[in-house]
Amino acid sequence: MPVTFTFGEMLSARSVIGTTLAELGEDYDNLWVLTPDIGATLVEFRDKYPERFVDVGLAEQACVGVAAGLAYDGNIPVVSGMLPFLSMRALEQVRSDVCYPNLPVKIIGTHGGLVGNGGSTHYAVEDLALMCALTNMTVTSIGDPLMVGEVIRQSMTMQGPIYIRLAVGKKDKVLYEPGEHEIRIGKGIIARQGTDATIFTHGTVVAQALDAAAELAKDGHSVRVVDMFTLKPIDEELIAQCAAETGGRFVIVEDHLAYGGLASRVADVVADRGIHLTAFERLGIPQVYAGFGEDEELRDKHGYGLAATIAATQRVIAAA
Amino acid sequence: MAQPSLQNTENPHTVEELENLAFELRSKLLHLCGTYEGAVHIGGDLSSADILTALFHHGLHVDPTDIANPTRDRFLLSKGHAAVCMYIAMSMRGFFSYDGIVDTYGQLDSAYGMHPCKVQLPGVEASTGSLGHGLPLAVGMALSARGRGESHRVVTLMGDGETGEGSVWEAAMAANSYELGNLVAFIDRNRQLMTSFDEERVFLEPYTDKWAAFGWNVVHIDGHDMGALVQAIDALPASDSRKPTVVVCETVKGKGVDFMERNLAWHAGSLGAADLDRAMAALQASREKESV
Repeated sequence: MPVTFTFGEMLSARSVIGTTLAELGEDYDNLWVLTPDIGATLVEFRDKYPERFVDVGLAEQACVGVAAGLAYDGNIPVVSGMLPFLSMRALEQVRSDVCYPNLPVKIIGTHGGLVGNGGSTHYAVEDLALMCALTNMTVTSIGDPLMVGEVIRQSMTMQGPIYIRLAVGKKDKVLYEPGEHEIRIGKGIIARQGTDATIFTHGTVVAQALDAAAELAKDGHSVRVVDMFTLKPIDEELIAQCAAETGGRFVIVEDHLAYGGLASRVADVVADRGIHLTAFERLGIPQVYAGFGEDEELRDKHGYGLAATIAATQRVIAAA
Repeated sequence: MAQPSLQNTENPHTVEELENLAFELRSKLLHLCGTYEGAVHIGGDLSSADILTALFHHGLHVDPTDIANPTRDRFLLSKGHAAVCMYIAMSMRGFFSYDGIVDTYGQLDSAYGMHPCKVQLPGVEASTGSLGHGLPLAVGMALSARGRGESHRVVTLMGDGETGEGSVWEAAMAANSYELGNLVAFIDRNRQLMTSFDEERVFLEPYTDKWAAFGWNVVHIDGHDMGALVQAIDALPASDSRKPTVVVCETVKGKGVDFMERNLAWHAGSLGAADLDRAMAALQASREKESV
């Protein structure tokens, strides 16, 4: 069934995963879906292609290893689960079984960031740092629920592995009008134009960055928002372009450790290419185990919520 | 279901011929261990030598001239540190040149290193080395074969020590749950880890019961008895049967070289010229003793 939606509406990214995989199962008879006991939304695929659906139970390491075995034999396995466990408990399988032989295993999951109120065992906050470190791995983090479908679709023809990070995926804001932006893995999206500063962001906090830019516009500030949904390979050209076009004033906001994620990726490009910046601020999770609370409360508490984003952007705009 | 016949089944090796091949494999292993300057996992190579000989010269339907044939049996060396034993066994089956292995082993840009790499050496089925990874990979390959209605087998060789890894038992449960009768795990039960003997620190026993409790068809043999290995291979359930099979092979680490046997010092090492002569003499003596 095609997904229907309205711009600005809430949509479940998980349902997009389910629908997209069920669709793709028809085009790709070598597409397998695997899960370690997660995935009510995979039911559609499971019912349509039971012979290509594998649930190994609570066994993330085996799940990723089995996926690699399938991929060695010419299949396209998609592993779907909760990212804190896929990115950490199965990290060595991801690295040595999938990335080392560069197999086309797609890892897609939820609970990237301080989301879902599960406490620190259930927040993937180091995952992007870990995944970006792996040779051959492509790393993405998606906010717009409809983009999830497009990224999964594009990943089907990729040779190597990809990591696709979502937040909770139960209720996500549709950010972009269909066809409004070209969505291409490896290319950032200018989600909002602006000339005074650029906010680079990804995943669930793209919506927050857009709200911050809208607030700042009321005071006459023109703030660009870049949805850098691909962290690796990073869109270096866009970073250089934004430095040139927004006065070298950067804010990075992400639902991930402030060090090791997108801010670090951007800083690497800035340093490596000798890009001159006027101001650079990074907002993200500090070195704490964050505790319980609703997503927004946790972002506020740990200094990367809406108010903090607005304040940081004002500071970089004011910087001499 | 008829097995595809890629191997020369018209002239199968006799048990005696296989024993001679295993002797040749051990001699070549020692030779490499004597010429390569770095450490070779000689203890676990020697304990696996009969199993790998039986597999590559009798059990596996593989074709060295057509390594991507979709109907071939898949073999994964889960105990990746025995790579050199697999390389040489495969060279004797016609996959690689033995000289190529000996001349380049472990050197810069060589395809032959301490643990097998599928990217550098396409003749092997998977990149392995980190222990406990082979069985999950094998489960994936067995599921793939089932999905395509193919009748080949997926065979892996694990060390008993590596079955301490939880991922092995995760995969063991998956194999049983998915009724993968096309999956066969050989276990080199040499009863030694790197720094201790199994039962000293880690209790693996009751070992065969553990596998049976996980729903596997269990075969328990002397892993140095070539006749028993051949018999176990010939008696494997059809690949469309519903239970995975484990062949627990009782072995001796360092088998065939008396001063290496059950000696923790020979988990890995290299042989100087004098030691190489001593090892070769010991291997010869061991063969004569066993043929009496």
